[in-house]
Amino acid sequence: MTKEEEGMLNGEHGPGIKRSMELLVKLGEAFDAERMIMAQSAHIHCAMSLDLLSELTEGATQCRVITTTHPNAYPDVLDPTGCKRIGLPENYDIYEFIHGGPWRQIEDIFKRLGYLLTYTCVPFLVGNLPRMGDVISWGGTSGAVTATSMFGACGSRDSVPANVATSVTGRAPYIGMAVKQNRYAQVLVELDGLDVANFTNADYGALGYYIGGKTGSKNMVINGLPKTLTLEQFRYLVSPMPVSGATNICHVAGVTPEARTLDEALGGGKPEEVITAGRDQIKEAVSKLTTARSDKVDLVKLGCPHCSIIELRNIASLLTGKKVQPNVRLLVATAKQIYVLAEVMEYVDIIKQAGGVFTNTCLGSQDPFNFIGPKLGVETVATNSARSAHYSARTSGGKIKLLYGSVKQCIDSAITGKWRTT
Amino acid sequence: MKLKGHKINGGRVEGEAIVCNDAFSFLGDFDPLTGNCLIKTPELEGKSMIDKILVCPTGKGSSRGPLNTYRAMKLNKSPKAIVCIEAEPVLAAAAMVANMPMVDRLDKNPLEVIKTGDWVKVDGDNGIVEVT
Repeated sequence: MTKEEEGMLNGEHGPGIKRSMELLVKLGEAFDAERMIMAQSAHIHCAMSLDLLSELTEGATQCRVITTTHPNAYPDVLDPTGCKRIGLPENYDIYEFIHGGPWRQIEDIFKRLGYLLTYTCVPFLVGNLPRMGDVISWGGTSGAVTATSMFGACGSRDSVPANVATSVTGRAPYIGMAVKQNRYAQVLVELDGLDVANFTNADYGALGYYIGGKTGSKNMVINGLPKTLTLEQFRYLVSPMPVSGATNICHVAGVTPEARTLDEALGGGKPEEVITAGRDQIKEAVSKLTTARSDKVDLVKLGCPHCSIIELRNIASLLTGKKVQPNVRLLVATAKQIYVLAEVMEYVDIIKQAGGVFTNTCLGSQDPFNFIGPKLGVETVATNSARSAHYSARTSGGKIKLLYGSVKQCIDSAITGKWRTT
Repeated sequence: MKLKGHKINGGRVEGEAIVCNDAFSFLGDFDPLTGNCLIKTPELEGKSMIDKILVCPTGKGSSRGPLNTYRAMKLNKSPKAIVCIEAEPVLAAAAMVANMPMVDRLDKNPLEVIKTGDWVKVDGDNGIVEVT
């Protein structure tokens, strides 16, 4: 350890930093880390314990690395009228609901530490953009797996207390994805007969959901995807992997910066296992994600992970001059920072005039409708997100039934009230 | 019987074992307000985990798990220690924030030699688990 790190551990920087450093050192020892390393970025879950947060940050004046915050504070902040109309209770507070709060005091500490209150699961779209090799401690597996697989950052399976500890110390144990040897692909995924040129984001999601479920916590490399893969396509591909599996990194040959070739992704070695994904496997994933028997849609949700500006543009274009059925709720989730740009571009007007409602809440594991939906008569939910579909089915205990398809199908079902399979 | 393993978190405690055969998450598999197990099997559902020694293969699931052990500890509803085959960082942090000794990589598979109800001594400092 460096002199400064020892000082942190000895309490020279205050009790919070001492406690944080103790936790990180213990984690390092438990997983055989040679040393502590500098970290560059943190991202913090808002579902937080006030006592634990206070313990880990007492006396700390400002976080040492750029730190952003995850949803779910103020889910109705973008669109209070719309949220009220579709039944999100006023002042609905998921923290009080799940964790007992008290939220305002937690937020005061976040502000004191200089955490950027982004309340989004896409930190890299709102200024927390890691470079290749940056060590990140991020809550929220979709952001972490995207930053690690698409940008080459080092984000590992990590816990909320460790995220906070890294934000205030600027350190992380040298374990997990920070160790080059741990990043090489173990499983090779070959594609068979897939028309990827015409894939929708939902097709990418189904592919990712299938691959994650087959590979568990192993690293993989996918061969045969276009080098032109967009940020959106990449996100839909990798975001479901940590929920159907426990993925840390998924190389896409030719796209992931450290996987310019298949050989580079495999570290010059041979894969432990080769799996093939074709049309049958995509169908299998879609049928797992589709639990609804009825084609009558109660809620359409888009934005898990939060919509990018390009997705909002697409949704606005599909809704131009159209109206959502009065008995269907259309919920669009994005970050406030992206929403502001969408307002400038008038996408917000178009979507709202059509009857869509905006939120910056989580539409995945903490989607409020997973809990309150059945009470509001929301039974059948359509989405273009494999991650969201997976979580809704499980968190609601099967009470929410899912329909899974492209954004076009989703918007069509919002306009007609009926789900059409093609 | 004495099992030798590897320290994840220090401290010495003893208590009754509760054995879970699948990877465990403190968010979803455990209720911090009651200390009860939420796994839906006849042996485990609704069973109290308070002051028990959790024996499981490894951790899984949400990074928020440690918030639940911390909360349970404050309410005196937490298990006492964790013994597992191979630790992972979220389950380890769950033990650390709640001051639970934790040991992994034992010379025998703990799921095979420890049964629910056995009295187990956990020496986190030396990575030793004793089944009596």
